[in-house]
Amino acid sequence: MASKLTVRLAHEAESSLEITLREAFCCLEPQLKPPFPLIIPTQEQYSLLNKAILYGILCEPHLLKIHIKHLHGVITDGYGYFTSIIVIIVNEMYRKLVDSAKRQLIWIAREMVDVAAVGFNDLLVALLRQIVAGDSSEENLWLCYEMVTLFSSKWDCLLEEGSSVLTGALYVFLRLLSDDCRVSNAPNFESLMKMEKDFCVKMLREKFNLCLKIGRDLLRLLQDLVHVPEFRAIWKDLLYAPSVFGVGEFMDISKLYYTRTPKWYFLLRVNPQMESQLRFLLTHVKFGSQMRYQVWFAKKFLSAPEKNAVLIDIVRFICCVHHPSNDIIHSDIIPRWVVIGWLLKSNMENYVEANMKLALFYDWLFFNEKLDNIMNIEPALLLMVHSIPEYIDITNSLLEFLFLLLDNYDLERKEIVLRGLSTSLRTLLRKGVVESVEVLTRCDKLSPNLKERLAELLSGCSGIVDNSRIPTSQML
Amino acid sequence: MEAEATLQPLSSIAPAAQNNINAKFIVLDKGRVAMEDQHKTCLALVADETAAVHFQLWGDECEAVEAGDILVLKNGIFSYNRNSLVLRAGKRGAVEKVGEFTMRFVETPNLSEIQWAPDPRAANKYVQRAVVSAYSRIFPPMR
Repeated sequence: MASKLTVRLAHEAESSLEITLREAFCCLEPQLKPPFPLIIPTQEQYSLLNKAILYGILCEPHLLKIHIKHLHGVITDGYGYFTSIIVIIVNEMYRKLVDSAKRQLIWIAREMVDVAAVGFNDLLVALLRQIVAGDSSEENLWLCYEMVTLFSSKWDCLLEEGSSVLTGALYVFLRLLSDDCRVSNAPNFESLMKMEKDFCVKMLREKFNLCLKIGRDLLRLLQDLVHVPEFRAIWKDLLYAPSVFGVGEFMDISKLYYTRTPKWYFLLRVNPQMESQLRFLLTHVKFGSQMRYQVWFAKKFLSAPEKNAVLIDIVRFICCVHHPSNDIIHSDIIPRWVVIGWLLKSNMENYVEANMKLALFYDWLFFNEKLDNIMNIEPALLLMVHSIPEYIDITNSLLEFLFLLLDNYDLERKEIVLRGLSTSLRTLLRKGVVESVEVLTRCDKLSPNLKERLAELLSGCSGIVDNSRIPTSQML
Repeated sequence: MEAEATLQPLSSIAPAAQNNINAKFIVLDKGRVAMEDQHKTCLALVADETAAVHFQLWGDECEAVEAGDILVLKNGIFSYNRNSLVLRAGKRGAVEKVGEFTMRFVETPNLSEIQWAPDPRAANKYVQRAVVSAYSRIFPPMR
């Protein structure tokens, strides 16, 4: 009898997935050692055998060699089914796995990369999602270390497969670095951070053509790392010597501005449990009944201040990934802007708050009606409009931030940002997201200056004021 | 594996001296742990999509269960315990955590805040006589 797969707490039901795997293992255990039978299994037997061998690999480390040999011998579907079960295990119960099973899991993930298993991309994505930002526990740092090692050591193999997951890893490690680099003295993970940096720099310097696929959010992440020398150098080249990246089509940073980031990147920094809770909230909970859910969510995911930077990723997830159906939009279910408004009221550090606002407005800056989705920019406007009058401070601070971006985001490409912002506003109005912005332009409680600038933005006149506070080029 | 008992909506339960309630619900709130005959007990508010009720946690259930947990109760009992009407696992029942967060609920009616009376047409059965309070008076709704 093999050991257990997960740690189960008192009064916790056993997961049906674990039961299924264990039953497959127990049922086939006698066949899991040599001599292996030579019969060709039916589809059903094949599935059962895949589950049994996987359970053996995870729970019987001492018999790993036998199980893996068996696996390679029986596979007829390019490991597609085998990999898909591992993905489900990672998504549903990674945290609960016993330590030895976690170690086996990483081992088998590497093996799946080596054999170019069908679906190994999904497996690596699932593992990347389990890394918790701002968590310096040994367990979490171990996973970071294993993943960055995997991506660095399997570099050639992953490139050969044309795998998009390398850019996913870049997204994750840049995001983790931006949190970790704020902790000035962290001897524990200095060597880990070095490996993460090396990987990111190698990607950006050597495979920039792949990095371009990430789109504009690549810049949003890099922005947070401008104080790190390696990345500052990359910034300089992005702005002033784009040709050094050796990609013909990349002649100006605006190329990235105009590339919308594919949805799957945002999911990389929102773990599956968080995703399912947020989706539940936005699909099933009525506006007005959300209080308890908010308390539970905050207690589970936001109670440690050092982990609060995930708020930025949640805002990106809500704006860019979770797009409710028309039925939901016209129902009494809690709208997205309410959830964002609630999150903006959390207790957090200033840089998290600023980055949350940037996450909320990021697609406004470069909005192009042909390429971008109005759903990405909708929550910000609704939040500003509906916060009047009760939460006027939110409306004020968001509008202020919007104009701060217009004045300072990119001094040399102000016209791009101006065009983005005014196109956003006009598109939202034309599509009837709000009937008019008079509620903003005629609001007594908003500062006259903000109202004036908003009117200018709408009329299409230049809203640019040249009193830059954070000139990009001076930061470098 | 034993056959799954059919789960019943909370709105269908009535006080009885029987360990026959099988239900799935979410824990909305939890009170303070107290000692009762040298055992830990703790009152909680639980609910599903049809009704809410006070649930008495007992022994190590008090620590194991948190607000936001989704529980499945097997062979539970809904009866008076020291003058308050509570749902609990009791000696013959069991409660297990099966998930978190992703369940809808209502906070009214609250079955523990209803005055029950013997059913004149059926012995050993209780029917609702009056609503004492629409919502739990111990765990008021959050607004």
